[in-house]
Amino acid sequence: MELMNNVKIKSKNLNVYYGEKQALFDVNLDLNEKEVTALIGPSGCGKSTFIRCINRMNDVIDICKVSGNIEIDGVEINDKNLDVVSLRERVGMVFQKPNPFPKSIYDNISYGPKIHGKGETKSELDEIVENSLKKAALWEEVKDRLDEPGTGLSGGQQQRLCIARAISVNPEVILMDEPCSALDPIATAKIEELIDELKKTYTIVIVTHSMAQAVRVSQKTGFFHLGKLIEVGKTEKIFKNPDNKMTQDYITGRFG
Amino acid sequence: MTKEQRLKKRHNAEKRFRFYGLASIFFALLFVLILVHNIFSKGSSAFMKTAINVEVFYDKDLLELEPGSSEEEILEADFFDITIESLLKVYPAKNMDEEDALIELFTTDAEIEIKKAFLNNKNLIGKKINLEITASDDIDQLHKGNYPRDLPEDRRRISNFQLEIYDVLVESKTITKNFNNYFFKNGDSRDPEIAGIGGALVGSFYSILICLLLAFPVAVLASIYLEEFAPKNKITDFIEININNLAAVPSIVYGLLALQILLATIQLPRSTPLVAGITLALMTLPRIIIPCRASLKAVPPSIREGALAVGASKFQSVFHHVVPLALPGTLSGTIIGLAQALGETAPLILIGMVAFVVDIPSTPIDPSSSLPVQVYLWSESAERGFVEKTSATIMMLLSFLIVMNFLAVYLRQKFEKRWN
Repeated sequence: MELMNNVKIKSKNLNVYYGEKQALFDVNLDLNEKEVTALIGPSGCGKSTFIRCINRMNDVIDICKVSGNIEIDGVEINDKNLDVVSLRERVGMVFQKPNPFPKSIYDNISYGPKIHGKGETKSELDEIVENSLKKAALWEEVKDRLDEPGTGLSGGQQQRLCIARAISVNPEVILMDEPCSALDPIATAKIEELIDELKKTYTIVIVTHSMAQAVRVSQKTGFFHLGKLIEVGKTEKIFKNPDNKMTQDYITGRFG
Repeated sequence: MTKEQRLKKRHNAEKRFRFYGLASIFFALLFVLILVHNIFSKGSSAFMKTAINVEVFYDKDLLELEPGSSEEEILEADFFDITIESLLKVYPAKNMDEEDALIELFTTDAEIEIKKAFLNNKNLIGKKINLEITASDDIDQLHKGNYPRDLPEDRRRISNFQLEIYDVLVESKTITKNFNNYFFKNGDSRDPEIAGIGGALVGSFYSILICLLLAFPVAVLASIYLEEFAPKNKITDFIEININNLAAVPSIVYGLLALQILLATIQLPRSTPLVAGITLALMTLPRIIIPCRASLKAVPPSIREGALAVGASKFQSVFHHVVPLALPGTLSGTIIGLAQALGETAPLILIGMVAFVVDIPSTPIDPSSSLPVQVYLWSESAERGFVEKTSATIMMLLSFLIVMNFLAVYLRQKFEKRWN
């Protein structure tokens, strides 16, 4: 049996409701440490809702109610008393559309460390900014214009800036919600290379509409349909030899 | 209908629409032009005043002052006699009636002007000096060409004898037109030639300042709370609807409210900028909250999510990211709200600012007038001099409003950040 990484995130009987409408039904999903897990499925199947549970981003939505358990390193996070600020320090997120702050590139990266009290001095902050940008493979392109607005970069660069921003607070998990859907193929390729590099350090969960992307970047894939986790397994297995008929139909393009 | 006919019809419809649009703009501009022309043609002359050059002799005996008298002694001294003596020298009058007619050519404040000149230069005692003494309202209007001198004498306020003197003065160039500093620095007066908007300017300034200090923080905090923190439920919906309703409440209602609560119950001093400021703040509050909330709403949610995702608290995401981005819109909304408050008349009339106040207020709890109320007051006066002063005050008011609105647009364009 092939050696599997430790389980980092564990969801048990996770149910999510948007008002009357139930968006997730009893999702039980384990995500492994220092691995990329891809979540696929047709639009509205609940895969984004699922990852937004991991950093409690659903709290922002008034009508959203989450029940069930999610554990990170065995600690329950779906707990009213949990401080979401420190949770989100550990679980970073990259969104579908690049959303840099309308501030300088430097300020975009240094904001997170500043509010968490990392990087007390200017030189420490400089170092964090440089390292984050290097890890996001953006340093070479922007090192001479750190004080220019982050919104002036190209779409692909903006998305890497957002990844750098997520890395800057030194998280353990990075959630990516269709990070390449607004990007052209070249920018997409760069982000995918980057994800490959990042998985050495971080646990990554990526929601994607592109099956090719799931195959390229992930080690594990989960298939969602209508709020239910239909099938989960090693990426190779899911795409070559799925157990479920519905997974088979989806990956071969028969619906979705 | 053939295809060509349909196409032609479509083009015609567009042409007609363009024509209607242009015509509307033309009409709107025409009315603005008429308004501006009317105000300018009536009001511009108020910025000049007519003065008559008079040789004043500071006679030691008449003044009963010694060289080196103290300021108090001078203030108490009687300048009436030397004033009359000096004014009568302008033209030879044959009898008492003619003397009276001659003195009527000058402002009733001639004595004060002569005293002031002396206070500025105390060495004048026993000396002669030429002073520009302000002419009376009638002469002022006559000199500016606003007074019909071809009326029969019994229907004119200026007698034939006075006209005769006037013509001689014009001939000898002793009558002049100067910049009207009284208009800016004096308070209200029954005599148009010395009436000014100084008191109204200071009153309006204090009122707007108090309005700003009260309304801005309350409106901004209320908008931030409602937009960012408040739960969306029936209570907040109800509050939202009522803020919109309050913005549409006629301003006179706020005046009545202030009359009842601020003046009758709390017994704040009436006719004061303090009460005016509070009343205007009440009125302006919903009018600032609405644009503030709109500019907060215009900040894309992705910015909030971005901040939350790196672990900012709700408070940090709002105050580090959303508020700075909404600030230009907030400021311009506030300025436009204040501009409306500056032009507001009805509530101020109700709280007693319509009183006749001569003194310029030195604190916000002194009785005072304000610019729009001054316009209202003067527009009711019969004297010709107040016609031009009314229009000139409107010009001042309009220029303040234009400056404020430009500032609002400038702030918005300069500091508004684009996020895409």
